[in-house]
Amino acid sequence: MSYNFIEFITLILLAIGCFFILSGSLGLIKLPDVFSRIHAAGLIDTLGSGFIVLALIIYSGFSLLSLKLLLIPIFLIFTSPVTGHAIALFAHESGHKPKGKNKK
Amino acid sequence: MAKPNKDSLKTLSFITYFIILFVFWFILSGYLKTLLLFFGVISVLFVFWMSYRAKALEEDSLPLKIILRLPFYWIWLFKEIFKSGITTTALIWNGKYSPQLITVKASQKNRTGIANYANAITLTPGTVTIEVDKKIFLVHALSKKLSEDLQTDDMNKVITDLDK
Repeated sequence: MSYNFIEFITLILLAIGCFFILSGSLGLIKLPDVFSRIHAAGLIDTLGSGFIVLALIIYSGFSLLSLKLLLIPIFLIFTSPVTGHAIALFAHESGHKPKGKNKK
Repeated sequence: MAKPNKDSLKTLSFITYFIILFVFWFILSGYLKTLLLFFGVISVLFVFWMSYRAKALEEDSLPLKIILRLPFYWIWLFKEIFKSGITTTALIWNGKYSPQLITVKASQKNRTGIANYANAITLTPGTVTIEVDKKIFLVHALSKKLSEDLQTDDMNKVITDLDK
């Protein structure tokens, strides 16, 4: 093994992030309706991008660059729920009913 | 600190906003020359003036009290996101999802708190806030376990305590 420790951690975190993105993409195809698919997209937004940016921060070392990288998840945290909520609200108001049993 | 009056609190929140904007400018640019820092102050002042004109600097939108508690809250939120993310991933792979609609009551007092709670619900994978009606949320959850986790009211309490 010719990897050093930091590269090893980076590889593991990248693999975890890729796994979450793969699961989210699978969910986008597999899940039954609009509302469920938003969950899959949310999985990509939070955990997928989160782990990949974390891996990049560790790989680049602590510098101004890593602070800039840290801004990406901060903006995603504020914007991704708003987009998800906007899609869900519009689907709800235009009369889409969620599939599955509904409990009020 | 004695009982702070309204104006001093407002000034304090203006100063905090200014510092946040300037730190943001510095992270994005990375310049340390005096002339460029001066230009940075000018552009930050311009943004400050614009947000003041747009009335984005009301008392509600810059709650100073919670800024110190925010890092702890974010660590807690990341933990929640990770936990429900694992659950959602497992649901996607094994296909045992049963989507359902539930209603959740929010107990936050101001608008920022309610928006914070709705965003936190949407941010954790597996639950999405569909509609906010005053203090009652319509939430779509991917499985029974995720909706029961939400109905234990833990998240509601943590976000209400943020603003105490």
